[in-house]
Amino acid sequence: MGYIISDDTKELLKDVKEFCDNEIKEQVKEYDIKGEWPKPIYDMATEMQLTMMDVPEEYGGLGLSHIDQAAIVEEIAKADAGVAVTINGNGLALKPVLIAGNDEQKKKCCDIILNGGWGAFALTEPDAGCDAGNGKTTAVKEGDYYILNGRKCFITNAQVADFFVVTAMTNKQFGTKGMSAFLVYKGTPGLSVGNHENKMGIRTSITSDVILEDVKVPVENRLGEEGTGFYTAMKTLDLARMWCAVIGVGLCQRCVDEAAVYAQQRVQFGKPIWKHQAVQFKLADMEIRTEASRALVAAAIRLADAGLAYTNEASAAKCFTGDSAVQNAVDAIQIFGGYGYSREYPVEKLLRDAKIFQIFEGTNEIQRMVIGRSVISNH
Amino acid sequence: MEILVFVKQVPDDGVEVRLDPATGKPATGSIDKVANAFDTYALELAARYTEANGGKVTVAAMGPAGTDSTLKNLIAVGASKAYLFTDPSFETGDEASVACRLAQLVKKCEAENGAPFDLILCGKESTDEISGQVGARLAEELDLPFVSSVIEVAPAGDKLVAKQETEDGYIKFETAMPAVYTIAKPGYDPRYPNIKAKLAARKAVIPTFSAADAGVGEAPCFVECLGYTEPPKRQAGLKVQEKEVADTVAKAMEILIQDKVL
Repeated sequence: MGYIISDDTKELLKDVKEFCDNEIKEQVKEYDIKGEWPKPIYDMATEMQLTMMDVPEEYGGLGLSHIDQAAIVEEIAKADAGVAVTINGNGLALKPVLIAGNDEQKKKCCDIILNGGWGAFALTEPDAGCDAGNGKTTAVKEGDYYILNGRKCFITNAQVADFFVVTAMTNKQFGTKGMSAFLVYKGTPGLSVGNHENKMGIRTSITSDVILEDVKVPVENRLGEEGTGFYTAMKTLDLARMWCAVIGVGLCQRCVDEAAVYAQQRVQFGKPIWKHQAVQFKLADMEIRTEASRALVAAAIRLADAGLAYTNEASAAKCFTGDSAVQNAVDAIQIFGGYGYSREYPVEKLLRDAKIFQIFEGTNEIQRMVIGRSVISNH
Repeated sequence: MEILVFVKQVPDDGVEVRLDPATGKPATGSIDKVANAFDTYALELAARYTEANGGKVTVAAMGPAGTDSTLKNLIAVGASKAYLFTDPSFETGDEASVACRLAQLVKKCEAENGAPFDLILCGKESTDEISGQVGARLAEELDLPFVSSVIEVAPAGDKLVAKQETEDGYIKFETAMPAVYTIAKPGYDPRYPNIKAKLAARKAVIPTFSAADAGVGEAPCFVECLGYTEPPKRQAGLKVQEKEVADTVAKAMEILIQDKVL
């Protein structure tokens, strides 16, 4: 375990593990098949305050260190990546508010989450994924209000969210400098949510379109100055990539855990398959990828905590962890053989869950572009 | 309503225990220590009772120095105070001596608590030694009413109604207070702590007392443990695997008839 955590946090982790083992691990199998948001699990997670780990202590939060939080999120991700993505969605929505919001906005959003509510970050659009600056959603100022129109897609937690952070173009001419971010609360007229996306994996998380039709947003709900929305979104993504990598590490570890147990049970040619070197090497590579991923995440967290630049490290952690999660899942299935391909066994789900980690929060190609450009600029 | 729950710290019962060949005793050193499951049911029952009817719950344990960690965890899930009693003399003895010492500790707990207890709860048994005697013996030592295997407690004026689980159903008993009950598994699980409560509880300082501090004297011991043996390993079964499935079934049937199973 690459995270160094206190004895008290280890005690807390035991509770989280017990919760995951008793309430998540088996239960999600059914929800995964149905593609249903497991509300009873999220109600219990809220009760345990697992959905509010991103609220800062000065706004009534829990006061966990980021490494402690990472260890907890990883534990949840080991049980089910979709549950971890949902819980992390609250952090994702809160981050732009904490980055750009004023005290009143921060307090209001933190209170929503502390009271068991949910937030959603609505940046992506049908024609603006990796190219987030190409958003078509507009915000036109009319007196004390902005009128928002447009369509967002793949928005985590949209169907359950009490507040949305929505990016929209306030001045198209300025390109990315013409983008602004707004707080939009559930129930605002003109705001609606599309159907739940029928996804390949992380099916216990809910993902939908958000439709904005003449949504009247008071000027005081703008996050930061006009034109700072793209900067806020990019800062949010730096953080989001780090936390996305934390979840990916949990997936990597689950693959190792499942494969290691199975390799000791499964006997072929008169001995447990782990005694065959080909399987040992696979297990070793899976373990190496997992520990390396965790170490990259820990390095990014340490830099962020110290107030130093960590954009490249967050990208590296996200990219390497996403690739590792997919490769570990492929290897776990290979170790399980034919059973690994069966839905009766847990590892095929891990591959379906892992794939998105090479895609969301900026595809791994985008991460490589970020890192590649920085390599050149440093030489 | 003041409730005292006695707790024993035991090795995690989810882990298989083997004998240490050097000492002949269960090798539990490397196994995580946790509160006995039945004691956690007792605490949950007590916490629910006081949440519904008022009052507070104190937990106390007799055990080695590290037991304070277990007690801190219980403060996160419903206990408002905890006391630890630790002394080399507590490490030997039988169920009679444990009960005798616990009876004396009740007085110290009451003095520290500043109020007498109306109800004392123990798990119906511990998951390590599983003797199931201590609660009943404690009631005898204190000369108090006793009900075993309780799964529900309700107020009844100045008395209590305890629902005892039996093999066929349940029996309701009414007892005066104070009383001693042992608790079986109720129809619910102990709560999970929330993070804030857990972090606060981990910072708690658990008052710890020696035998002399607590005024615990000699405790009689009647039973001596002579040793432990591991349960015999299951014999390897008979494997029947013919080339054809029909032949396999026929051969299995033949063996079952020959051994008079059928």
